[in-house]
Amino acid sequence: MLRFVLRRVLLAIPSLFGLLVLTFFLIRVVPADPAAALAGENATPSQIAEIRRQYGLDRPLYVQFAVYCAQVARFDFGESAYSHRPVALDISQRLPATLELTVTALVLAIVLGIPLGTVAAVHHNRWPDILLRVLSVGGVAIAAFWFAIELQMIFAMGLDWLPLRGRLSTDLAAPSTVTGFYLIDSLLAGRFDLFVDAARHLVLPAVTLSLGGLATIARFTRAGVLETLQKDFVSYERAQGVPARALIWKFVLKNSVVASITQIGLLFGGLIAGAVVVETIFDWPGIGFYTVQAILTADYKVMLAVTLLIGVIYTAVNILVDLVHGLIDPRLREQL
Amino acid sequence: MSVWKAIVVAALATVLFGAAPQVRAATPGVLVTGDNLPANLDPHQIFDVPMQLYSLNVYDNLYRYEGNPPELKPWLALSYTVSDDGLTWEFKLRQGAKFHDGSEITATDVVYSFRRVLALGKAPSGAFKPVLKPDNVTAPDKYTVRFVLDKPYAPFLAATPIVMIVNPRVLKAHEANGDWGAAWLGSNAAGSGAYQLDSSTYRPLERVDLERYAGHFLGWADNPTPVNHIQILPTRETSTRVLALLQGSVDMTDSYLPTDQVERIQRSKGVHIEKDTSMRVFILRMNNKKPPFDNVNARKCFAHAFNYDGFIQEILKGYAVRNPAPMPNNLWGYPKDVVAYEYDLKKAKQFCDKAKAEGAPIGRPIEIHTQSQLEQTNQAAQLLQSDLAQIGVNLKIVSDTWANITTNTSKPESTPDMWVHWVSTYFVDPENWIGQMYDSQFNGTWKASAWYENPKVDALLRKARVTVSQAERKPLYEEATRLVVADSPDIWVYNTVEIRGVSDRVKDFHFSPVGSGGEMRWIKLAN
Repeated sequence: MLRFVLRRVLLAIPSLFGLLVLTFFLIRVVPADPAAALAGENATPSQIAEIRRQYGLDRPLYVQFAVYCAQVARFDFGESAYSHRPVALDISQRLPATLELTVTALVLAIVLGIPLGTVAAVHHNRWPDILLRVLSVGGVAIAAFWFAIELQMIFAMGLDWLPLRGRLSTDLAAPSTVTGFYLIDSLLAGRFDLFVDAARHLVLPAVTLSLGGLATIARFTRAGVLETLQKDFVSYERAQGVPARALIWKFVLKNSVVASITQIGLLFGGLIAGAVVVETIFDWPGIGFYTVQAILTADYKVMLAVTLLIGVIYTAVNILVDLVHGLIDPRLREQL
Repeated sequence: MSVWKAIVVAALATVLFGAAPQVRAATPGVLVTGDNLPANLDPHQIFDVPMQLYSLNVYDNLYRYEGNPPELKPWLALSYTVSDDGLTWEFKLRQGAKFHDGSEITATDVVYSFRRVLALGKAPSGAFKPVLKPDNVTAPDKYTVRFVLDKPYAPFLAATPIVMIVNPRVLKAHEANGDWGAAWLGSNAAGSGAYQLDSSTYRPLERVDLERYAGHFLGWADNPTPVNHIQILPTRETSTRVLALLQGSVDMTDSYLPTDQVERIQRSKGVHIEKDTSMRVFILRMNNKKPPFDNVNARKCFAHAFNYDGFIQEILKGYAVRNPAPMPNNLWGYPKDVVAYEYDLKKAKQFCDKAKAEGAPIGRPIEIHTQSQLEQTNQAAQLLQSDLAQIGVNLKIVSDTWANITTNTSKPESTPDMWVHWVSTYFVDPENWIGQMYDSQFNGTWKASAWYENPKVDALLRKARVTVSQAERKPLYEEATRLVVADSPDIWVYNTVEIRGVSDRVKDFHFSPVGSGGEMRWIKLAN
């Protein structure tokens, strides 16, 4: 098992370096001139040239790339051209918010998606199955921004049960940072009021974000369970008199979720991308909006750092998914 | 069961009657605005509308624009004198004005601030760099600041409000590698304004908290019940912004609301619309160096093909005023007798035919670049596209960004055939519009991206720039404007009416086109 983990981590290094090369050169090929954007609306051409020199943008690309690699190796992503704060600091303040949102959404999608899919498969072609089919097609097809606004209209405006926007009520101070997850940090600080407030703020954005993933996981689980139900061992267990409920939730499910787990790995990347829309609508202070702003202003250091970071997270999640596969299915463990 | 019932009822109510928001009690004494924040907090690095919202509250300047139409009022300075040759300007400072740290604002602080702007060389320096060297800003005595310009520059006084006065004692303590404290001031403040920053809760682009400064030099006699705490919490999505206003968790929105949201606010209780004529001109640019736009008849054809009334009345629902020239119509120097290009497809066709006969390639696909996140720029392009199609001209819409377009406008070859934008009030002087847009020496900047060249116009604008008396400058700008309009280098559409949603508890909101009504010291909150 340890060898397997090590191999996966080592294999990830060249792909991440590839990502570094690709993003660096792609972003620099984009025609928007960071120096011009930086100089502002009333700048003269000579001011722009000076800024280009000041930021080393006049040096050959390969020199810039070498300098950049050396910085990244030290976890130094430079300074945002706009906020003048270290990019690493800006990201470290925002990333936990995005992760808290995406992880919650993912947990929701798994915790609801797998049972829903299983129930649908067991009631194949009866009403629970048909209902799920409608819901899952809807879940994938519904635009997140529309769904988000509907949730806001009903639960924040109409019923006034949940907050409209933000991560915490503005009159409350954030808990001191340990993990950066408000749900965890507030409990560590013994502040149950903060926990409740943070959880209430999390509900609508997390539900919105989980919708697509929930539908996908439910569909894949349904297909997996249906397939497993045809297997000989199921008939055997049934003949042995194993109760239906135990049969489904213990034996069938374990043999059916491999495809769903692969999907979870892929979904995570999609969730981080989807967070851009959800964060915008709910004013969630994560990296999604920060990145969009960086793109619009050609703040290339931020773009580079965020792309690389998302690459690292995505790779890490997929290594984890492979590990979970191995845990569930001993045959896979032996192959690796 | 009752939970589900409540959800269903709320959903039905939402669908059937639109939102019936429950207005929550807003926090007493705290004003929350949902308008945008600048990229960082250093007023010498950033110069845009969001920065003005921040800096007009946290900093003071020598003179300040107040009211609508904006009037230049003495602020930290009490008066100024200018030499006959227009080169030497002296400002007498008010005595006893204090920074937030309690130290007095003196002439050396003003000198430091102007030198810092020039040294950093960012956007705010644009108006001064061509005419002012750092060493030529001096302090002959404690309350006098002297500027000696390299050449006469009439808009100098009008541009001085651009420079906010910063506290050098605070900044020097936070300097790193000779950066004039630029890294530190991006997240902190060193000002004297009516409000002071609480930097502990600052999050870039997300949150700024301001506390009232009781020791402000103007005092608070004119507003005995001011707002003590202001929160700037930008809402990113227009729909969320308006919902937050209706719900009462935000007191003010931005001023770029689409018409449907304006109508929604008008239908709701507890909130209203503030409607103010501004000085922000909406323009469809043409690249006069690229065929067919090097042909005046082709340009006139396009100018007659835009449905001005349709755009203003139907798409903007009348929230704008037709402005057929480069300058806003409420500014001095605007010729009242200017002849506007009217929407007339027959005339447009005649001009296009004429241009074609003269060899202009009217038949080629012509690209118009829009700013993708600003819906109005797309709407204007689509309207023009549909009308041009009727007279056989093929207009292609290209979705683009501000950063990209303004990079490309540095050369005539890379400047788009056409593009859409606004020219806002950076300082209240015709120089801000026609001066920097059509004097050919500025060609290559985004403001002068029509690449227009007319020696007569150049001569008039250059003469106006070095003439100090406004009475003498006025006819020069009027004449230049008439000439420019006759050449039809661009399509000027409207002067903006700024519309913002405001909670009914906000009293005495003062609007000025400079800063888009961002100055808060006048506001009271009713409860």
